[in-house]
Amino acid sequence: MRELFPMKQVNGFIFSLLLTIIALSVYFMDMSFELGMTILLVTAFVQAAVQLVLFMHAGESEDKSSIYTTVFYGVVIALATVFGSLLAMIWGYL
Amino acid sequence: MEFFERFAVPHPSPLIYASMVAIGLTVIAIMAGITYFKKWGYLWREWLTTVDHKKIGIMYIISALLMLFRGGADAVMMRLQTAVPENSFLDAQHYNEVFTTHGIVMIIFMAMAFIIGLMNFAVPLQIGARDVAFPRLNAISFWLYFAGAMLFNISFVIGGSPDAGWTNYYPLASNDFSTSVGVNYYNWALQISGIGTLMTGINFIVTILKMRAPGMKLMKMPMFTWSALITNIIIVFAFPVLTIALLMGTFDRQFATHFFTTGDGGMDMMWANLFWVWGHPEVYILILPAFGIYSEVISTFSRRNLYGYKSMVASMVIISLLSFFVWVHHFFTMGQDALTNSIFSVTTMAIAIPTGIKIFNWLLTMWKGKIEFTVPMLYSVAFIPLFTIGGVTGVMLGMASADYQYHNTMFLVAHFHNVIIPGVVFAMLAGLTYWWPKMFGFKLNERIGKWGFWNLTIGFCLAFFPMYITGLDGQARRMYTYSEATGFGPLNMLSFLGAGIMAIGFIFIVYNVYYSFRYAPRNVGDDPWNARSLEWATHNPVPEYNFAITPQVNSSQAFWDSKKHGHQLFNKDDLKEIHMPNNSGLPIIMAGLFFVFGFSFVFYIWPGVILSGIGILACMAYRSFEKDDGYHISIKEIKETEDKFGGAK
Amino acid sequence: MNMNHTQPLEYSTEQNKMNILGFWIFLGAEIMLFATLFTSYFVYENRTGNGPSGAEIFEITPVLFETIILLTSSFTIGLAIHAMRINRSKAMLVFLGVTLLLGAAFLGIEIYEFVHYYHVGATLQTSAFTAILLTTLGTHGAHVTFGLFWGLFILMQIKKRGLTAETANKSFIFSLYWHFLDVVWIFIFSFIYLKGMM
Repeated sequence: MRELFPMKQVNGFIFSLLLTIIALSVYFMDMSFELGMTILLVTAFVQAAVQLVLFMHAGESEDKSSIYTTVFYGVVIALATVFGSLLAMIWGYL
Repeated sequence: MEFFERFAVPHPSPLIYASMVAIGLTVIAIMAGITYFKKWGYLWREWLTTVDHKKIGIMYIISALLMLFRGGADAVMMRLQTAVPENSFLDAQHYNEVFTTHGIVMIIFMAMAFIIGLMNFAVPLQIGARDVAFPRLNAISFWLYFAGAMLFNISFVIGGSPDAGWTNYYPLASNDFSTSVGVNYYNWALQISGIGTLMTGINFIVTILKMRAPGMKLMKMPMFTWSALITNIIIVFAFPVLTIALLMGTFDRQFATHFFTTGDGGMDMMWANLFWVWGHPEVYILILPAFGIYSEVISTFSRRNLYGYKSMVASMVIISLLSFFVWVHHFFTMGQDALTNSIFSVTTMAIAIPTGIKIFNWLLTMWKGKIEFTVPMLYSVAFIPLFTIGGVTGVMLGMASADYQYHNTMFLVAHFHNVIIPGVVFAMLAGLTYWWPKMFGFKLNERIGKWGFWNLTIGFCLAFFPMYITGLDGQARRMYTYSEATGFGPLNMLSFLGAGIMAIGFIFIVYNVYYSFRYAPRNVGDDPWNARSLEWATHNPVPEYNFAITPQVNSSQAFWDSKKHGHQLFNKDDLKEIHMPNNSGLPIIMAGLFFVFGFSFVFYIWPGVILSGIGILACMAYRSFEKDDGYHISIKEIKETEDKFGGAK
Repeated sequence: MNMNHTQPLEYSTEQNKMNILGFWIFLGAEIMLFATLFTSYFVYENRTGNGPSGAEIFEITPVLFETIILLTSSFTIGLAIHAMRINRSKAMLVFLGVTLLLGAAFLGIEIYEFVHYYHVGATLQTSAFTAILLTTLGTHGAHVTFGLFWGLFILMQIKKRGLTAETANKSFIFSLYWHFLDVVWIFIFSFIYLKGMM
C-alpha cells in the first residue's frame, strides 16, 4: 500500500492545501487590497508551479526545454494580454 | 413556409440571383461530371480521405486559389463602384457586404490557406520527414478550414452576408445595426476554421521539433522551415484569443448578453481590443512564411548561401514576441491617454528593426550573386522595394499622434495592401511556381508567368499608390461613393484601371496552369532549379513515403552540399520498411458535421445544433476507441517504386 | 513499432513522445484561451450595470468545497499515473475512478452554484460582469465535463486492453489535462472569488 503513495506526491498535496489556506486569509482577515493581491499572486503562481513540476512531470522528458519554453512563452504573452488590455481599456482610458 | 423565410436574402439584387443560379449550375455540373467519369471512388480514396501532407497541401492551395477568385471578384466590384463619383453600381448595403467578405475571404480563407498549403507541402520534405507528426489531425485541420470557408461563402445567397467590415466592430456588428444573420455566419465560419488552424499550429510545431532528419539541428533547418516553426508558434498563442472573442460575439448576438453593447456594463471597444490581440499576430502569421519563401527563392536563384542565417532566425523570434505587444496601434484614436499610445507606438516602431535586418540580409544575399531572373525570383526582387514602401508607411501609421490624421482613410488601405500584396501574395505565387515541379512533375511556363508577374506588379502600383494620395486628402475607407467636388474621381479611376490590370495578371497565371499542363515538358528532373534544400533531393513528383532512405544532414543546405561538396545524403544500407498512416473518412465526416452545426447555429435551428453536436462528440469517441496502427511498405515495394523513378535515392 | 524499455510505457514510442509534446503545446494554447477570459473578466469586473457585483453573490462555502475537491482529484490522478508506472493497473484504475467521481462532485457543486446565481438575479443577460463570470466558469466547467467523458473512455480501454504503450500514453495525457484544469481553477479561485470577496 505504501508504495502507492509516494512522499513526493503526498507532500505536494499537503503543500497545495497549505497554499490554499494561506490564500484564504485574504477572505478571513482584514487587510489592504495591495497586500491581499500580493498574497493571491504569490500563492496562485507557486501553486501552478507545484502542479507543473511535481504532478505534471514537466521536466522529466527529453523535450523538457520545449515544454518549459511553451509554458513560459504562454505565460509571458498571457500577462502581456491581461495588462495591456487593462492599460488600454481601463487605466489609460480617459 | 415560415421556416424557410429565414433563409431569404434580405437585400436581393439581380447580381445575387445570378450568383445563386451560377452556384447551383456549377455544383450540378461538377457532380454530374464526377458521376459521368466515375471518379467518386477515386476522389474518395485518393483525396477526400487522404492523410498525406502533400495532397492536403495541394487541396489547401486549390481552395486558396478558388477563394482568391472570390475575393478578387469582390475587389473589382469595389473598385468599379468607386471608379467614378456618385456611381450606383452597388448600393450602400451591398458595398458594405462586399468589402466585408473581401477582407475575410482574402485574409482567412485565401492567404492563410495558401501559406498553410505551402507549409504542408514543403516543410516535411525540407526536414526529411515521412509526413507530419499527426497526419489524421492534419486532415481534420484541412476539412475544418474547408467547412468554415464554405459556410462563409454561402452566406451571400442564403440569409445575407456579414456587413460590418472584416474587423466586425461592435456596436455596428450587433443585432441592432446588422440585422441579417450575416455576422452570425462570420462568427461561426471563423470559429470552425480557426479550430482547424490551431490544430495545424500544434501539428507543425511537433513535426518540426521532433521529426527532423538526423543531423539537422535547429540551426541547420532551411529558412522556410524556420519561418513555419515561428509562424505556428504565433498561431498556437494567437488563435485562442479569437476563439473567445468570437464566442463572446456569438453570445451577444444570439443569447442577448452584454459584452459589446453600450448598456448594462458592456463595452463595445472590448471587441476591437480582443480582435486585435489576435489580429496583429495574425499579420505576422501571414508575412513570416512569406519571408521564408523569399529566403529560399533568393538564395536559390542568386546561387549563394543565405546571408546572415543567424540574424534571420533571431529577427523572426523577436518579431514573434513583439507581435503580441503592439495591438493597440490599431485603435490609437479610441480615446486612451498619451502614455498608453506612446507605449504601443514604441513597440510598433521596434518591429521595424528586425524586419529591416531581414531586408538587408536579402540584399546582401543577392550581392555578387549570379542572379537568374526566373518567375519566383522576379516576385522576390519586386517584393523588396515594394514591401519597403509599405513598411515605411506603416511606421508613419505607427506614430500615434500622426495616426489621428491617417486613421480609417484610404492611406491605411493603401498601406496594408502594400504589405500584403507584394509581401504575402507575391510570396505565395513565387512559392507556388517554385514548388510546382515538385508537386506535379513539370514546370510552369516562364514566359506566360512573366506576363502574369508584370501585369500584377504594374497593376498593383496603379491600383494602390493613388490611395495614399486620396487618403491624405481625406477619402475615408469603406465609403461606397463620394461627390465630384471632392476631386477623388480621377485617382479612383486610376485605381480601378490598376485593379483591372491585376485581374488580367491573374488570368495569365490561371492560363499558365492550363498551358503548362498541356504543353510543358515532363522531363525536368528532380532538381529543375538547381536548388539547395532537401525537398529537391527526392523524386519528382514525390512518392507517397517522401524519402526511401532517411537523409543525413550536415548543414542548412544539405542538398547543395551533396551536389557540390560530396556530402553523402543517403546511405544505401539504411533502406528499411516504412510505416505509413491509414487514410480515414472521419475528418471529412466530422467537418461536415461541423458545417451543419455552424449553419444550424447561424439560423437558430436548435435540433440541428444538438444532433450535429452529438455527432461531433460521437466522432471523437469513435476515434478514442479506434485501433489504427497504420500499415507498412515493404522494402521490395520501395525498391520497385524507386526503380520506376530510375534508381533509389 | 520501436519500443524503448528504459523509459516509462507512455514515452516508449516516438509517436507517444510526439503525442505528449503536442499536448503540452495544446496546453500552451489553453493558457491563452483562459488568459483571454481572465482579461475580459478583469475589464468587466466592475461593469455591473443594474446587476449585482461579485461581492454580493459569491458564497465561500461551495467555492471552498469545489477547490478542495479539485485539488484532491489532481492528487489522485497523480497517484494513478504513479501506480501506472509501477505497473499496478488495478490501483491505477481505482485512482482514475476516484478522480472522475471527484470531478463529477465538483460539477454537481458548480451546477448548484449556477442555480444560486440564477436565483439571486445574476444570469447571462444581466450585465457584462455576470456574463463574463458565467462564461469563464462555464468554459472551465465544460472542460471538466469533457474530461469526465474522456477519462471514462480511457478507463474502459484500460479495462479492455490492459496497460499498453497506447493506453498508458492516453492516461498520461489525460493526467496533464486534469492537472491543467486544476491550475486554471486555482486562478479562478484566487482572482475571481477571493479577489471579489476581499
